[in-house]
Amino acid sequence: MSDFFRAAISVISLVAIPLVLLVFLGWGLFKKVKVYEVFVEGAKDGFNVAIRIIPYLVAMLAAIGIFRASGALELLISLLTPITSLIGMPPETLPMALMRPLSGSGSLGIMTELMNVHGPDSLIGIMASTMYGSSETTFYVLAVYFGAVGVKNTRHAVPTGLIADLAGMLAAVWIVNLLF
Amino acid sequence: MLNYIWIGLIVVGIFVAVGNDINDEVRATYRNGSVLEGTVEITRRPTALRETWEGELFIPASSFNAFYGSQRTAGDVRQRITVNTGADGLRSVLMPVGDSTPAWWRAMAKASASREHLTGTVVAFQPVEGSGSAAIRFVLEPVRFVKTRAVTQAALDYAGIAVTIALGLIGIMALWLGVMKVADEAGLLHVLTRALAPVTRRIFPDVPPDHPAVGAMIMNIAANMLGLSNAATPMGLKAMEELNKLNPKVGTATNAMVTFLAINTGGLILIPATAIAVRAAAGSANPGIIIGTSIVGAGAATIAGVLASKLLQRLPRYKKAMEVSHE
Repeated sequence: MSDFFRAAISVISLVAIPLVLLVFLGWGLFKKVKVYEVFVEGAKDGFNVAIRIIPYLVAMLAAIGIFRASGALELLISLLTPITSLIGMPPETLPMALMRPLSGSGSLGIMTELMNVHGPDSLIGIMASTMYGSSETTFYVLAVYFGAVGVKNTRHAVPTGLIADLAGMLAAVWIVNLLF
Repeated sequence: MLNYIWIGLIVVGIFVAVGNDINDEVRATYRNGSVLEGTVEITRRPTALRETWEGELFIPASSFNAFYGSQRTAGDVRQRITVNTGADGLRSVLMPVGDSTPAWWRAMAKASASREHLTGTVVAFQPVEGSGSAAIRFVLEPVRFVKTRAVTQAALDYAGIAVTIALGLIGIMALWLGVMKVADEAGLLHVLTRALAPVTRRIFPDVPPDHPAVGAMIMNIAANMLGLSNAATPMGLKAMEELNKLNPKVGTATNAMVTFLAINTGGLILIPATAIAVRAAAGSANPGIIIGTSIVGAGAATIAGVLASKLLQRLPRYKKAMEVSHE
């Protein structure tokens, strides 16, 4: 069942982009849109959007870089370990849970290392990879998406994102402990 | 909130870095100024022109760990070394850092001026007659402010990485914005948004169900679920631009934007391809076993995020931030 699901999804993922290109542009042609001209017109914005993101991304990534390089994460981990053991979370996976919202490459590195040390099919390995799949890099998404439209006052976006991350991590701990 | 978190990351990072450096200094983690002993297997002896010895430094693991007062290496240290004699007759050592260098020394070299060498001064160098080896006692250059240096470097490096990431987006942004523009002109997004209107009207009550923002959001969420992050980001940014057209107070996030971001940061994905690839590479018997658990985790994150955005948007302080002053 799981194999069939996996195969089906990977086929869909494989054909999705060519199919979307074909259907969208083909439909445009059918509707007598001047496809080439309109495409170029829309594509022009790509450069501006990317450039607009830069200051937001620099601010966010520089702060995260300073935090990571300082060793503050290790300090936080030693403070939080007593709490995590109460909810059945192996302390080894705590760096994963804390890094996931901050840095995609950082959490990928932690996941890889945990699997190499403890084995991918150990409880720690399964939990780390589930945690990796249970959330996006919240602060990166915030910086890029809000940067693109010049939003500086993010209102409740940060608490919302952190609540979502917390829920994702707790759900990952719960389901992995339940099944494995 | 983001203000505090942002400055918090920076201030905490800098204070912790300085604290760690003071701690290292007090505990003499790097044994600055202490004399290290070893033997050198000489491979090249001095000539008339250059008074330089080359060889391999050998320090048993037990004495290396005893010297640094902690378990710093598992195996014996074997390290290429050069002993130079200066014009003043003083001898110095130079050790190029490589894969065979203990990790502890590699970390120390990173904090040094050259980054690729460890240097030091020789206290005593005594070739043993007729054996091809020599006893050496030397002091490494002091290592200080390791974390402060790392923090400085990280700030500069990550600023560069941010620009690289943004510039890397230009091409795919242009491609998808072009395609979306064609779909928009052809009225295709209308068809899509009308079909999903019953759902989107509930999640985004502030956005008219036939607004182009809805079409872009649907495309973004679909691409995310399929794991097509290259397509998802441009469509998400397009959706943000469309949502911004409905924004009465440009520069401030609307309720719909926050809810949309909650869905995005939840990261609901049908096949977590990266995690599966890493598991397979680590030799897992069943790399795909985490598909179900990830869907549960990401589903919980997405639902919690959407609910949290709906509840938090009612708080007076967030409502106030949205009010437009009519002056």
